[in-house]
Amino acid sequence: MLKVEGLEVRYGRLTALRGVSLHVERGETVCLIGPNGAGKSTLFACIAGGVSATHGSVTLDGKRIAGRRPEQIARSGLSLVPEGRNIFKTLTVEENLRLGAFMAKDRESIQARLDEVMAHFPRLAERFRSSAGSLSGGEQQMLAIGRALMTGPRIMLVDEPSLGLAPKIVDQVYEILMSLRDEKALTLLINEQSSKRALRHANRIYVLRSGEMRLEGRAEDLQDGEAVMRAYFGFDERREVGEAAQ
Amino acid sequence: MSDARSAAVAFLRAAWTPAALVAALLAVVVVASALGAEGGQVAITEMLIRVVVVIGIYVFAGNSGILSFGHIGFMCIGAYAAGWAACDPEWKGLMLTGLPAFLAEHRYPMPVAVLGSAALGGVAATLFGMAITRLSGIAASIATFAFLVIVNSVYANWDTVTAGTSSMVGIPAVVGPWTSLLFAAIAIVVAYLFQISGYGLMLRASRDDAVAAASSGVDIRRLRLIAFGVSGAIVGAAGGVYAHFLGILTTDTFYLDLTFITIAMLIIGGIGSLTGAVVGVLFITLVIEVLRALEAGVTIGGAAIALPHGAQEVGLGVLMALVLIFRPQGIMGGQEVPSPFPPAGSGRLRAGRIPESENGKFVEPVR
Amino acid sequence: MITFLQNVLDALSLGSLYALTALGIGLIFGVLKLINFAHGDFITFGAYALIIPSSADVAQVLVGGWSWELLIPTVCIAVIAIALASDYLVFRPLRGASPPTLMAASFALSYVIQNAIMVIYGARPKSVNLWPVLGDQTHVGPLTIPNLNLVTIAVTLALMVGMTIVLRRTSVGIQMRAAAEDFRMARYLGVRADLVIGLAFVISGALAAVAALLLVAQTGSLTQTMGQPIALFAFIATVVGGMGSLAGAVVGGFVIGAIVIMFQAYLPPDLRAFRDAFAFAFVILVLVAKPSGLLRAKGLVERV
Repeated sequence: MLKVEGLEVRYGRLTALRGVSLHVERGETVCLIGPNGAGKSTLFACIAGGVSATHGSVTLDGKRIAGRRPEQIARSGLSLVPEGRNIFKTLTVEENLRLGAFMAKDRESIQARLDEVMAHFPRLAERFRSSAGSLSGGEQQMLAIGRALMTGPRIMLVDEPSLGLAPKIVDQVYEILMSLRDEKALTLLINEQSSKRALRHANRIYVLRSGEMRLEGRAEDLQDGEAVMRAYFGFDERREVGEAAQ
Repeated sequence: MSDARSAAVAFLRAAWTPAALVAALLAVVVVASALGAEGGQVAITEMLIRVVVVIGIYVFAGNSGILSFGHIGFMCIGAYAAGWAACDPEWKGLMLTGLPAFLAEHRYPMPVAVLGSAALGGVAATLFGMAITRLSGIAASIATFAFLVIVNSVYANWDTVTAGTSSMVGIPAVVGPWTSLLFAAIAIVVAYLFQISGYGLMLRASRDDAVAAASSGVDIRRLRLIAFGVSGAIVGAAGGVYAHFLGILTTDTFYLDLTFITIAMLIIGGIGSLTGAVVGVLFITLVIEVLRALEAGVTIGGAAIALPHGAQEVGLGVLMALVLIFRPQGIMGGQEVPSPFPPAGSGRLRAGRIPESENGKFVEPVR
Repeated sequence: MITFLQNVLDALSLGSLYALTALGIGLIFGVLKLINFAHGDFITFGAYALIIPSSADVAQVLVGGWSWELLIPTVCIAVIAIALASDYLVFRPLRGASPPTLMAASFALSYVIQNAIMVIYGARPKSVNLWPVLGDQTHVGPLTIPNLNLVTIAVTLALMVGMTIVLRRTSVGIQMRAAAEDFRMARYLGVRADLVIGLAFVISGALAAVAALLLVAQTGSLTQTMGQPIALFAFIATVVGGMGSLAGAVVGGFVIGAIVIMFQAYLPPDLRAFRDAFAFAFVILVLVAKPSGLLRAKGLVERV
């Protein structure tokens, strides 16, 4: 469904991504893991059209989307939940959600989507008319996901859903993501710091480090974690693996 | 013999950029004098003073990457400082009743007056710099602009010290092409020394990557403040020289139009290098003179063509917009004069421009 | 007490003009991170649209002589046209450039418009008598209120209410508010950049046109730099209100209006002349003490 090939992104003299390739098939949940500064968020932003690539191609259902504007990519069914969530704090919860839905023309389908999102996020229904800036971190994350859902995506890219959230809240967020996958057959590409969590939820895993793809594999083949850790930290720091991996 | 030769090469290698720039300006003055045009002397002098101004702005903007819209305020401060020092004491006693005795009762020669201009410009810049160096990119640019308005408003209304909106008259108009060339040369040398000094190099590093510079222990604020002070002093001195060129001062001279022209010169020449600053002044002066001549009217093949009044300014504005769109690094693209001597070590300065990043946080392009 | 009320009315009237202008500047800044120096020249352009282009000393009124139902839309269309043309020719090619580059470009644009007006209309100021009825005064008890002040305040309030409804209730309004807060995120959700930017310039142009008409009715004269002072004050109003906050721009406009009038009324006579200097010093103070503006905590904070 989503196919990235030989992607290269540069900021000035700094190369953030070097020949990165990945693919996500319909209905799959794929996790991208890697240390801070590996280029994961850049990769997501680049797929969603926010950052331009110097080389490589991105296709969605066989159609080239690299080089297209972010709004065009959003309209072709790819939705990004960015790192840090970026909810519109000066807007209400309702306005945040409706913003995701103006692509749908008629009121009924917007209302239908709203109802569906509310069903998944009862907490948002309670805070429907309050300012989004007043939400807690977990609520903001749910709003960001709900808002992305409102665009009616076929594939959703979730960048660091656990960032800055308590473990219990993170579990809730994943629970919702997994129920969306099961009920709506939503295809997911998730950027996750914790390899443990990634291994638990994903069908397949990619490891990105220093702008290069180090490992790709099916989650069930990688359950012992050894290979992931090696790719994550590089070969030299294997001894630190014990402390750093949770 | 070969020792002397290699010493000469070593000197030229180190001093190539300022030497070449001064030589270029010298050539312009010599050629203009040889042509002997009546208005040419005035135009050349004004151009050389603008070289000083634009270099002054460059010392801050070029090295720090923060565009300043307020430097003409320092020029105003410098010019009036020179006026206070150099006006006829009799007139001062009559008109400028608010001046302290050491200014009101004495008259100082031009070099002393210009030194005073530089000092006052430098002090004002350092004080104001303490405020603006706390700010980043766009906020700093806004603050510099507010500074310009403040200086203009104060000097236009402080009647007992500046003669307000009427003019300050009677400053000896002693500056011609050669004197202004001397000041331009001094400005070039000072700016170059600053740029290759430890401060200058660190500041340029912070311009290119603020995060990396900060994490390597560079105190960016202090560096910016130093650059701001030096640049205010240079522009202040330029104001003093300009006062001794005009002989008469009004605050209107030092406001938006001059701000626009000098910024256009810096951006069109290339904000990232000293050569860019100088080339920008030369090029824009040429453009202005050509347009001015066209406004006055020329005869080509029997047909008289005259552009309407104001066409010169329109042309300049369009040119600046075109440069920003199609060549944002300016004519020189951040490079200094190409040197015939192989650069020693890694002394070559990298291309600079108004950076796309603010404090090293990359601003991704919106397409 | 009477003088104070009189001053309050003056402050509201001046603040209205600043608020209209600040909103126009704030909208563009919100979406494009562009500080549009040329906004004052949009105002000037709107004023000159009232007369027949000629460099003659005496202004020949054309649009300015029409009835207001025709006059106002015509001037609005003229200013909207130049605003959109500016975007198309200057700012669109610079999408993605840094804010200082954009600021420099708008400076160039301002210089071009100002001098182009001089080329077309000549350098001398012209007098235009627009809506003389507004020059009358209304007496309310002991207060003497120029009609123009009342109209200025009423028009501004009406426009603010209208803008609020558009921004709160319509889909395109919500998109604009979202874009002003975080343009990139809005685009990730499918908000079309062209639409939002175009609309921002349309509204900004219309606001400049209204400001132009109010200004001409007030001063009765046209000069090439007539829009500049208002734009400068509006510009600091947006800073005071917090750049990127639309409500902040409006409030900032009224705050600056109040400051200017109250400085004028209550500063010791010796210091009154320095009113503008105090106002701009206040801006620097705000920038240094609270870079995010007095109203909202977002935007210009130093992020090293």
